[in-house]
Amino acid sequence: MSEPQIEPEIIRISWGPQHPMSGQTRILIDVDGEVVHRLIADLGFTHRGIEKILENRTLLQGLIPIERMAMVDTANIGLGYVLAVEEALGIEPPERANWIRSMICEICRINSHLYAFGLQVESTGYFPAVFLWTTVDREVLLDLLERLTGARWSYNFIIPGGVMNDLPEGFQDKVREAVNYLRGRFRQYWEAMVENAVFEMRCVGVAVLRKEDAIRLGATGPVLRGSGVDMDVRKDEPYAAYGDLDFKVITQPDGDAMARLKVRFHEIEQSLNIIEQVANEIPGGPVRVKIPLFPRPKPGEFLSRVETARGELGIHMFTDGGMNPYRVKINSPSLRNMYVFERLAELNRILVADIPVVINSIDPWYLDCDR
Amino acid sequence: MVEALKEAHPELVEDARVLRPRRVSILAKREHLLRLAEILRDEYGFIHPISAGAVDYPKEERIQVIYYLTNPSKRFILTLRVNLPRDEPKIPSMTRVWDAMNFHERETMEMFGIVFEGHPNPVHLLLPPDWRGGYPLRKDFKGEGVKV
Amino acid sequence: MILEAPSLLMKSVLFNLKPLTQIIVIPGLAFILLFAIIVVWFERKLLARAMLRVGPYYCGGRSGVLQLIADFLKLFLKEIVIPQDAHRVLFVSTPIILPTIPALAITLIPFDLDWVLFRAGGLSLPMFFAIAGFSPLIPVFAGWAANNKYTIIGSLRTAFLYISAEIPLVICASAVAIMAGSFDLGRIVESQSTIWFAIPQFIGFIIFFLGLIIEAERTPFDIPTAEVELVLGWRTEFSGILFGFTMMAEYVSFLAWALLFITLYLGGYNGPNILGLPLYSHIFWMLFKLAVLVPIVILIRGVFPRLRMDQLLRLGWYYLMPLSILNLFITLALKLGGIF
Repeated sequence: MSEPQIEPEIIRISWGPQHPMSGQTRILIDVDGEVVHRLIADLGFTHRGIEKILENRTLLQGLIPIERMAMVDTANIGLGYVLAVEEALGIEPPERANWIRSMICEICRINSHLYAFGLQVESTGYFPAVFLWTTVDREVLLDLLERLTGARWSYNFIIPGGVMNDLPEGFQDKVREAVNYLRGRFRQYWEAMVENAVFEMRCVGVAVLRKEDAIRLGATGPVLRGSGVDMDVRKDEPYAAYGDLDFKVITQPDGDAMARLKVRFHEIEQSLNIIEQVANEIPGGPVRVKIPLFPRPKPGEFLSRVETARGELGIHMFTDGGMNPYRVKINSPSLRNMYVFERLAELNRILVADIPVVINSIDPWYLDCDR
Repeated sequence: MVEALKEAHPELVEDARVLRPRRVSILAKREHLLRLAEILRDEYGFIHPISAGAVDYPKEERIQVIYYLTNPSKRFILTLRVNLPRDEPKIPSMTRVWDAMNFHERETMEMFGIVFEGHPNPVHLLLPPDWRGGYPLRKDFKGEGVKV
Repeated sequence: MILEAPSLLMKSVLFNLKPLTQIIVIPGLAFILLFAIIVVWFERKLLARAMLRVGPYYCGGRSGVLQLIADFLKLFLKEIVIPQDAHRVLFVSTPIILPTIPALAITLIPFDLDWVLFRAGGLSLPMFFAIAGFSPLIPVFAGWAANNKYTIIGSLRTAFLYISAEIPLVICASAVAIMAGSFDLGRIVESQSTIWFAIPQFIGFIIFFLGLIIEAERTPFDIPTAEVELVLGWRTEFSGILFGFTMMAEYVSFLAWALLFITLYLGGYNGPNILGLPLYSHIFWMLFKLAVLVPIVILIRGVFPRLRMDQLLRLGWYYLMPLSILNLFITLALKLGGIF
């Protein structure tokens, strides 16, 4: 990206990609003293061309690159692709597979929210205690996933036609145990973080995104819901087993960094409820239907929507009768939120010290932005 | 809604249909795209932009640019499309209608070589600023790299 | 006769070579270096517990006590990288000057009525502030010398930070001096033999505690070196042993302000004579109070996020400053009322 001109008396700080807190992106910050004038996001450091790669893979091979889009949130993104493939092939997964899909997706959502939560807390300058707590607690969930799928990351467990395997012996009890443990931990998080006076000072009223702006700028996921809009694909257009599950869409009216944190926090509670429901009420039956190894999709276009941890993901697949998709367009949630981040400095008075807090409350996943 | 739109503005819409429940597709005439976009935003409430992309059809000598929109009260996806000739892919930028199309149009621009007239910041988004290797998502891109 | 020899030797060393002992042992080099090493180790261990980790583990047995020495050696052997555009003389000299300033201030602190390295008499309290007042200048120079955007913002923040903290601190210290009737640190300690000034001057006590954390640039007030936004603030460009010196300066400055805090509010070296010789006992009490104070300050780092610059300035000028003046008036009223 070529750098735009700057006015005199303004320092342009390059925040990232080599920076303790920035991640794989660069943000140009124009500052006048401590006040941020303008934010410019410079993306593309992790551009791998997944859309192009998918054009050169068969439908089933495409499962592997697509899950590399956001490692922490694999299942949700994989599910988005699988839904589009299933629509193209005209197959319906069995009931039990849908419930298992919902459970894995919620485990992934908790994983991802815990990561975002820990990062936002650390970015306030909290000595990284809470970030490490969340890392340790994610271990519980990763163990569950390992038991279920055999891998801790990128397991490709959700496949067209269902899921790979049935739940292992005694898995439901493990799930209940983990859910109870995490509920106890979250009470501690709430006391240590949200009710901490200095943390409140750092997050309340920072980077306010009003409802109209959130809609106009195309925010999605916790960012949009933190501004009081109850858009959630799981409710609007139920996929997997979400039509049968009982959960609430969390919204917060304030639209500041704290509201986004609270949305994530309460969404974790809802996800824990969903996981518990699945463990208790999962119906019996087969978990996958047979599909050919090299399926030929019918020509046409198929647009699937799923709610990932960072917001709405859309996979728009065009097929022309060949074994490979003709084109796959990925509507990534992080890219939409990154634009909101770039505009926040105009809508609010943001100081340099707020930048890490703001960006981690938006929680973009740069691999997802760049694809 | 599709029928209403077709009846109210026949001169703007080339084709409008429901692909499947909750997926509406509108193909705009190229010269009236901006006007149609304003109508969609102001009269039909599509104020929440999702994304923009394109598909390359080299056999038919066209590139289809697609805007993904949604209405926060009705929550279905509307894809607003426009066909462009491959040798002269030029359309007015939608950023003056939907501000948030900024990043998506920049991506479409670098990936397909589409010129968005009136875009506030027409520079590369994901590709390096000195990228001269062609347009990666067009079908004739082979990924062979650039001769230096 | 023979048995008494070691203790006699000890006494003669202590009293005949008093200045040398003071320089080398306490409150001199050995004390400062040991303090820095032990406190850094302790901090790493304690905060590791808060993070569900074990902390230093391999160096020096399972407790990792020698980790700091290993780190120091590593820093010492590393290459010193000087940025191309930096002002070379200032860049190299500032980190070396930095720890000496608080170390000079420590020489004014009485460990016993006679055990003061630098006798400034009635000038000792103002002199402490005069010496310590230099310390914000060095980061400003260092940040400017490194010629980097992060360091410049960091050094400007340092200047703001110290100005907003130091004025309330001076006012609080003068309230203490009024109460004791002297600017002499030794006299201040002696007048606390019945009651510690922490009790009659409770507001000043709290303000000085906050000020101590601000002056030592520790969380929640480590704004100039805020890692998440400014990499390491004004320290960003330092490498190798130069970085080691800046880290050490942080702890030496912490030590200086903690010792002053103990002297002004926690009764200094006063305490029951438990070691026989009053001198030993006094030094013991000084160290004991330090050992109680340090973990409290360290734990604060584990439980609070960092404040923002504007929030710190508001704290300094809206709250600490008026409260310290209020404290001054209360002290005057107590003094004129004849209670003290």
